[in-house]
Amino acid sequence: MAVTLSHSLPVQTLPRTMQVGGVTVPVDLVTTGWPDPQMRLEDYDPEADLMTINMGPQHPSTHGVLRVKLWLDGETVVKAVPYVGYLHRGVEKLCEKLTYVQLTPIVDKNDYVSPMMNEMAINMAIENALGIEPPRRAQYMRSILAEIQRIGSHLISVGTWGLDMGGAIGGGATIFMFCMRERELLLDLFEELTGCRFHYNTHTVGGQRHDLPVGWDVKAKQVLARIVERSYEYEQFLVENPICRARARGVAVLDPLLAMECGASGPILRGSGVDFDLRRDAPYAAYGEIEVRVPTRTEGDALARAMVRVDEIRESARIASALLDGVPEGPICALKPVKLPGAVKLMEGETAYAAVEGPRGELGTYLVAQTDRKVGQHPYRLKIRSPSLHALSLLPYLCPGHTLADVVVIIGSLDPIMGEVDR
Amino acid sequence: MSILDPFRIGFRNFFRPMITEPLPWKQTRQRSERYRASFALVHDEHGEEACIGCKMCEKICPSQIITVTTGAKAKSEATGKMRGTCADFTLDLNACIICELCVQVCPTDAIVMVRVQERPSFDRNELMLTMEKLYANEQKKQNAWADGTKLIAMQDPGAGGGKD
Repeated sequence: MAVTLSHSLPVQTLPRTMQVGGVTVPVDLVTTGWPDPQMRLEDYDPEADLMTINMGPQHPSTHGVLRVKLWLDGETVVKAVPYVGYLHRGVEKLCEKLTYVQLTPIVDKNDYVSPMMNEMAINMAIENALGIEPPRRAQYMRSILAEIQRIGSHLISVGTWGLDMGGAIGGGATIFMFCMRERELLLDLFEELTGCRFHYNTHTVGGQRHDLPVGWDVKAKQVLARIVERSYEYEQFLVENPICRARARGVAVLDPLLAMECGASGPILRGSGVDFDLRRDAPYAAYGEIEVRVPTRTEGDALARAMVRVDEIRESARIASALLDGVPEGPICALKPVKLPGAVKLMEGETAYAAVEGPRGELGTYLVAQTDRKVGQHPYRLKIRSPSLHALSLLPYLCPGHTLADVVVIIGSLDPIMGEVDR
Repeated sequence: MSILDPFRIGFRNFFRPMITEPLPWKQTRQRSERYRASFALVHDEHGEEACIGCKMCEKICPSQIITVTTGAKAKSEATGKMRGTCADFTLDLNACIICELCVQVCPTDAIVMVRVQERPSFDRNELMLTMEKLYANEQKKQNAWADGTKLIAMQDPGAGGGKD
């Protein structure tokens, strides 16, 4: 059943649903015949005068260095091919040359909008391989920090999406400024806890590096309450602004079966009515001890994906406030503090996988251990399953049939972070 | 939606309180207690250079920007014991990722972080923190909260009420 937390959208009758592979999806969104991403242009219309243009890699609305090659018939997109790799930094290869305690500050830079999730995913993978569990206080802190980071990431996503759609004329600059204003409060919280506004290096194998300062929880709750109060303003902007409504409603309706086929997760999947969230379905950290309500939407369009993000801001604030009430006392790290690069030792060939629900979906880390006489213990292979890459694979399916201006809205609603796509 | 709507909205907003704030001129941003920006090497309680050249920070640095040259062992004038010395210490701030791991592993709390950033410059070599610059930072800039002992004490599972 779809949970609707907001009241600004017109009340809808619950959609007819069907079961596909154990998952409930709304019937109305299921379509037959997806656009063919491998379509030959001769098959389209031999008479048509197609124009090929490149969008990016330096285009301001592609959220980084994404290049999309578009074939246009007039103003309508016939075929779209995304090209990635302009931000490739070889992080996975670099991780093979570093020991386990050195990985955390490096993988921080993958998804540079939510570094907390990256740290958490990789440390959970190493802990799974070691077979240890962090103390309860560290688990609570991880969940709280993850939720606050999720709010910050969604604020950027919604804000820049408004900038894509409206710009200064349509009021998009307003929501961008509002979102950045609120995000500043969250970054101040992180600075007080870890000493850095970004790229914190606050997780370590077995727990946390920095304990909560005195009075931090009170301040955090005030900030969260303020953000919940202001989140209704974003919703008002997205739903009631005529420009935003005209550009986003009904654009790029995503078939949930296609989304699952492409491996999309997170708000994209939930915007299409699939009720899936790792925090509830495979609890990690402290999520098992608290009720996680998963907001879903059944429209499946670009607006629905943004509304899911706004709903998640409120839900994350609720979870973080509830967890802040019950932070247990005790140590914050299960292992002895790191003193040497080779402090954590794994057996040769040991493997582990850990997945967290990042702001963009399932962020997974797969680890194979290796022992090298020269380097010591380090990963033989580290694979990062980034949700943004899977989201971008939807682009060739969503773009055809829409106008060129809609492509900007579609990319923004998928919310890709190129640092995570290319790694 | 009539042509008068914008005027109506404008008139209504005229009486609302302002949500924008004036730019705080001439106010420096208040940094929190744990804020960390740049590096310094400190002297110990006897007034000697605390670094013993053990190369721990060089080994743990993920971006491999620290270069330590160990000096000859010398007798400490204050305590009379033999101790290691550091002949040269270079930290390339161009590639530093401010991860605080070098501070954590330092056995003598010699390397600490300071709360004031280095000035941006046109020359990359000015961001190469040599030994002189690092010891000058100790005098010039306020130290950050953390040093090795404090970080270790915070994380130690034995300190916070036994192993969970």
